[in-house]
Amino acid sequence: MIATLDSNRRWRRAFLIVGGIIAAYALLAPLTSLDAAVSANVPLLADRLWFRIATYIAMFIVMATGWNIIGGITGYAAFGNVAFFGIGAYTTGMLIAKAKWPFLAALPFAPVVAALFAALVGLPLLRLRGHYFAVASLGVGVAVGELVQNIDYGGQPLFGGASGLFLPIDSIANRGLFFFYLMVAAAAISIAVTWWVLRSRFGYGLIAIRENEEAAAVLGVNTTAYKVAAFALAAALTGLAGGIFSQWNVFINQDNAFPIEYNVQMILMALLGGTGTVFGPAAGAILLQLLIQFLGGTLPISFDLPFVSETARPIVAQIILGLLLVGVVIFVPRGVIDFFGGRSRLSLSYLRRSLRETSL
Amino acid sequence: MANFVQLVILGLLAGGVYVAVGVGFGLVWGVLNIVNLAHGGLVIVGGYITWQLFTALHLDPFLTLPVNAVALFVLGYALQRGVINRIIRAPLLFTFLLTFGLNLVIINILLLIFGSDFRSVTPTYSGQGLEFGSVVIPYVSLTSLGAALLLAAALAFILNRTRIGLAINAIAADRDAAQLVGIDLRHAYAVTFGLGAACAGVAGGLIAMIQAITPTAGEPYTLQAFVVVILGGLGRVSATVVGGLAFGLVEAFGQSIPGSGSVFANAIAFGLMVLVLVTRPQGLMGRLR
Amino acid sequence: MNESSSPHRPLQADLPLAGEVKPQLELLGVTKRFGGVAAVDGVNLRVGKGEILGIIGPNGAGKTTLLNCISGVFRLDGGDIRWEGASIAGMAPHRVARLGIGRTFQIVRPFGSMTARENAAIGALFGSSDARKGPKEAFEIADQVLELVGLKAKAGRPVAALTIPDRKRLEVARAVATRPHLLLLDEVMAGLNNVEIDEALDMVRTVHATGVTVLLIEHVMRVIVGICDRAIVLESGRVLAEGEPEVVLRDERVIQAYLGERYAKRLRASGDEDGTN
Repeated sequence: MIATLDSNRRWRRAFLIVGGIIAAYALLAPLTSLDAAVSANVPLLADRLWFRIATYIAMFIVMATGWNIIGGITGYAAFGNVAFFGIGAYTTGMLIAKAKWPFLAALPFAPVVAALFAALVGLPLLRLRGHYFAVASLGVGVAVGELVQNIDYGGQPLFGGASGLFLPIDSIANRGLFFFYLMVAAAAISIAVTWWVLRSRFGYGLIAIRENEEAAAVLGVNTTAYKVAAFALAAALTGLAGGIFSQWNVFINQDNAFPIEYNVQMILMALLGGTGTVFGPAAGAILLQLLIQFLGGTLPISFDLPFVSETARPIVAQIILGLLLVGVVIFVPRGVIDFFGGRSRLSLSYLRRSLRETSL
Repeated sequence: MANFVQLVILGLLAGGVYVAVGVGFGLVWGVLNIVNLAHGGLVIVGGYITWQLFTALHLDPFLTLPVNAVALFVLGYALQRGVINRIIRAPLLFTFLLTFGLNLVIINILLLIFGSDFRSVTPTYSGQGLEFGSVVIPYVSLTSLGAALLLAAALAFILNRTRIGLAINAIAADRDAAQLVGIDLRHAYAVTFGLGAACAGVAGGLIAMIQAITPTAGEPYTLQAFVVVILGGLGRVSATVVGGLAFGLVEAFGQSIPGSGSVFANAIAFGLMVLVLVTRPQGLMGRLR
Repeated sequence: MNESSSPHRPLQADLPLAGEVKPQLELLGVTKRFGGVAAVDGVNLRVGKGEILGIIGPNGAGKTTLLNCISGVFRLDGGDIRWEGASIAGMAPHRVARLGIGRTFQIVRPFGSMTARENAAIGALFGSSDARKGPKEAFEIADQVLELVGLKAKAGRPVAALTIPDRKRLEVARAVATRPHLLLLDEVMAGLNNVEIDEALDMVRTVHATGVTVLLIEHVMRVIVGICDRAIVLESGRVLAEGEPEVVLRDERVIQAYLGERYAKRLRASGDEDGTN
């Protein structure tokens, strides 16, 4: 027992050191010029595509960490958080494209509007529990996207309709770098918020709700207010990511602002890393997003899938992702952070135990 | 007035498909406590079987339905026995993610095999129908409704009159007690999911006759199946039949509102669901527990 | 049932309370129905400050339902509940808790992922509004409360590592940590052995000694006689008898409600042929 704890602690230390070095490198290296990276033949950073991928990873860190607040800490399996991403994207997008606001003035409205919307739908939805809440929130995600695409005003599509919304291209110098750091800042904010939540009275109340809502209520936790607040907080973070995305991508439509698969990806990331923890969702986001990009063949370090043609590759990548989803759910239900958090070690017996706990 | 009658008839006819989609979904949800996000994927597998048999062997699409049922039963049994049984005691989030993952696998395998082209099943009598003045009843829709009601009746018969059906009912009432009286849980669960999948397969055959299908065409049906089951009330086949027909009516009248068209189908379904959940959580036909 | 002719008829709301204490909690005709069945049917009850009041009754008599009505978990279908003179009927559970009414659940509901200490701290973090604390002080209070119920040595253990009696203690600890003025205990001694019951009785006495009114539901007669100032008997959602524990437990109708009519008749040891039903 003691030996296991010690070795786990050693594991954890090694993990933190290596992770810290990689994070520092990934964050600071872009500050040196890209040209220098190219001439020094440093992999990854020399590739402009890598910037894009790194920004996507940061974006998913925000979404997974945001989901963790309602899904992981509060225990309400929200399946429609992509609605908040889209609302954030369209809020900022409309303010920039239609009202001609500058980006940085429009951005703060993304989290605000997303949070207001979450509070509004949260009041009825969060009365539902279990499956009912999960599917109702999935319905919100689908319905909002549909409404945004199809609402007309005076014969004109209000939000750009099916052809989407084009934002004026910003005049930001070195914009790849700018949006990378902006998204990383949003990721840092979301992690800091989670850290604060888990240490506050608010967070203890949310965990109490997750563990037993009725017991929490009779101990004095205002369960309705807490749940709605957690939902709104998750929405605000997700909306912030959407707001940044809209100007970064310059073009938004139903497909890229309300992609249904994000709903599941952010949950899978949180689950993979460890729900209810501060860094788990972020770790899961990095792992899963790298894997998705790797399978999709968009990473600079790539490989050929045997027996798979170039056209079938994205489809096969999806199949592998689906199988992975199944595997993670069955074998690693507490997330990979469990191996580094000092509780368990990755071993065959761990996998067998996870299986036994949940199977018939 | 004729317009109203037409809408009612069209709604009930469309409701047949929702009945077929809903009964299997409701069975799995009620007995296994799993909201099966792969239901839409299974539906479309059924659709492709019907399409394949119709195009390759020129089989009448209605005759392919039993084939769908058997094939999907086997697939569903295997999925439950091999995969879903392994997480049956995990929190609901896990069953959600697992079935979503299965759906992803199913859809993309279909994409590999059939590509993303639209496929439709058009027997010689499609497009024809009974005419009563201005009211037209298409043959295909009418037969579909009949097939769906037959499916529901068959399912109700299996659940209430056969040995395995009674075992499934016992499990739904109390899993632990059912085990104590000697019911093989793994087998019964697998049969339940198999039956649910078989219903999905039949539903898919019906859907292939009324719309062109692609591998991703099943996705809206998962959400709609959920709404149908909630609308009728969880736990009884007859309640789901009422829920499915009611949903068909709501959709027909919703689409007749000028300007809205069919683009708000999901928004209407979702709004209806929240309304029912908040005002009458036991469903139209349900009993309070 | 002709209760009005009984010597132990239900206490009327306008009667002065034994001991001449002002009622802290007052139930007036409280009614709760499920479907058509009244689980609690017009219950009148007064609880004086500093009392230990026991509620007994056969299974399904409506004891837990009554507790759920008081703590706001259920909405009333009729009647009123007053706390220190003001109505609390229809109030959400968390607001009732903040007024200083703490409770336990018959089937314990610990926060499973937390340690015993964290469980108790939740009570101190929230709980009655005049004494809410931040995390640091809440953990100090949690330590004190765990010591009070005898769980100090196991404070750091996760709930899963606690025995059933310990989980019942934790359930009480969490409620006490809310610093209630009134504590509602729902069968905290059911399933405990004699030694454990003695420990639990001491625990309740200790809590009571800090100035907390106690209303407890119990099946174990020894508990009612050993600790309660007063006991009421519920049957089919109505108050069947009320008074000093020893007297109430000797009431013929109470014995009948518990052990069946036959047994009651045999106990009477006479040929008195009155069919009470």
